[in-house]
Amino acid sequence: MNWNLFVTELVSGITHGSVYALIALGYSMVYGILKLLNFAHGDIYMIGAFIGFGIITVFGGPANLDVNVVLMLALMFMCAMLGGGLVGVMIERFAYRRLRTAPRIAPLITALGVSFFLENGAQLVLGAQFQSYDSFSWKNNPIALNGFMLPAQARISYAQVIVVVGTVVLCVALTLFVQRTQTGKAMRATSFDREAAAMMGIDVDRVIVVTFFIGSALAGAAGVFNCIAYQQLWPYMGFQAGLFAFTAAVVGGIGSLPGSVLGGLLIGLAEAFATGYISSTFQQAIVFGILIAVMLVRPAGILGRATVQKV
Amino acid sequence: MLKRVSLIALAATLAALAVVAAAVARPTSPSTSSTATAGISCKKGVSVGMLAPITGPAASIGGDQLHWAQYYFTQWNKVKGHVKIKLVQGDTQLDPSKASTVAQSFASNGSIVGVIGPAGSDEVQAAAPILSKAGLAFASGSATRVSLTNGSYKGFFFRDVPNDGVQGPTAANYMFNKLKVKSGDSIMVVDDQESYSTGLADIVGASLSAKGVKVDRESISQKATDFSSLIAKVPSSMKVVYLPFQLSSQAQLFAQQLKAQGKSAVAFGSDGTFDSSKFTVDGSYISFFAPDVTTIKADALIVKSFQKQYPGATSPFGAPNYVLAQMYATAITRSCGDGKLTRLEVRKNFGKVKLGTSLLGTPIRFTANGDLANAAFHIFKIVNGKYVTVQ
Repeated sequence: MNWNLFVTELVSGITHGSVYALIALGYSMVYGILKLLNFAHGDIYMIGAFIGFGIITVFGGPANLDVNVVLMLALMFMCAMLGGGLVGVMIERFAYRRLRTAPRIAPLITALGVSFFLENGAQLVLGAQFQSYDSFSWKNNPIALNGFMLPAQARISYAQVIVVVGTVVLCVALTLFVQRTQTGKAMRATSFDREAAAMMGIDVDRVIVVTFFIGSALAGAAGVFNCIAYQQLWPYMGFQAGLFAFTAAVVGGIGSLPGSVLGGLLIGLAEAFATGYISSTFQQAIVFGILIAVMLVRPAGILGRATVQKV
Repeated sequence: MLKRVSLIALAATLAALAVVAAAVARPTSPSTSSTATAGISCKKGVSVGMLAPITGPAASIGGDQLHWAQYYFTQWNKVKGHVKIKLVQGDTQLDPSKASTVAQSFASNGSIVGVIGPAGSDEVQAAAPILSKAGLAFASGSATRVSLTNGSYKGFFFRDVPNDGVQGPTAANYMFNKLKVKSGDSIMVVDDQESYSTGLADIVGASLSAKGVKVDRESISQKATDFSSLIAKVPSSMKVVYLPFQLSSQAQLFAQQLKAQGKSAVAFGSDGTFDSSKFTVDGSYISFFAPDVTTIKADALIVKSFQKQYPGATSPFGAPNYVLAQMYATAITRSCGDGKLTRLEVRKNFGKVKLGTSLLGTPIRFTANGDLANAAFHIFKIVNGKYVTVQ
């Protein structure tokens, strides 16, 4: 057995899966509370990536960075998460709030409209060209080029380590927030029964805003994570990533936070191993074939709960 | 009742067959519209249309193409006694649907007697039915898909660059002769799932297989940014990974990740990856359909004068359009013998133009199907971020 290939595919799958997991968390959180499929969520990932790119540009561009890389990365994540979160809140306020009691198809179509609006807006403002973080060329620390050796002579770059460790940290922080804080408890209550939560004195509007902020902030961070490891960004990058992350959320069990992480990792690993061991040409067909099989066995997703309807 | 149903079924079948036959049938010679045969006075001057991606993601290429054609006509119009030629710009943004729309406006513009462009093969396919119906010659300085000159638009479509049927074997031969690839070695060929890329990957794959090279054919989406799964399959003994991509930024990313994983294989891109500002990984190779005119000694004066008019760098995408402008000027002069010309005359004369020498460093003439005779691809190597001609 070629262990180098196996370990390399494992690293690639976990790295990619981590990005999907972070985006999927946002889908799942919003769905859990509003039962809304927020298709604009993938575009917030794109906005986060561009905010990070803006920070790199401010500090002289990839090849001429004149700042400590750790400080710059911290600033990139803070700005991308804050920016992504605020855009998410604005979308909720102006596009979805008035449609909370409308038939479910209305906010779904609105979400698609918001997605196109963000993509076209980004193209208008930022141009259609592909841009690059080019973390292979960062003057003071090319984090995509340098890294560690793993068993079987496989290699993991610092950028990939940042993605995986960063995702773990964010997931733990989110879990603690949801489990241990008052707002987290309110979010769980709202998710369980929005009307009952309101009657118990929970400010549902505030909970929804917080949910959008956190979910979108995670998507913003995912945009930066993806680009420090895989470089490229463009206005339409959110579409495919959003689609895969949405699939991850569904496979893991939409509404379940651990399920979203599991679904993201499953998709990332399926992509990597399909390319490495079967065929890169049919990668997506193989990945989605596996997912169809999973859905047939567990229609509510791996960690999802089947809803029982009383009649 | 049964008889009636049978008759209806028979009629429906015949109608369906007729529709299919009409769709499949290809006219051997496209019919032309009345605009094509209308005479234009040469005294007032004539126009040549230019279909190029002047804005959008390929604007740097389109701008260069436009500038070289503009430059030629500017010089031409300065000479007393020459028929004045105006270049009409049509921005396609490298989008076939936009190319169709602009082609339609050129077709209706009676002063336009020929067209330079479109730039991309997909655009040529979209614009060809419209331009040929209008009786216009259209000549591309960058569309390289083999099937464009399969005879469907014979006498209408021309190109002064070699096609992918030349590019594939040129790249394969270079790998074999210069990069020390041997029979029994393996090479990874990765397409980007677009028609340009898969077609070229097929040609190169076949050329390499014919030499006994094992081809590991792979495929990635144009949206992909992580190639580590694929690169993990590149063995340490592999010398070349061939990347017939449309996006130079994607080739850059692939080559960077190849190096980051410590692989010794070099990336070898096709003409779609030619962009000295985006694909810059040292040691990589690129095949391209035109030479770098800035390195041809005989072109030094023209290049200097061009750069004075259009300051900044120029790429090999531009110069073939200078040559096409030159050929149109020659064809228009010949067609104006009686003081008038038609699109038909320009088209026929354009196909017959022969240049003994050209800016591209070689003689130029077209084959019967509109391809460039004796065409050759050029190979560049990236050295310290610069493109150096190696063949």
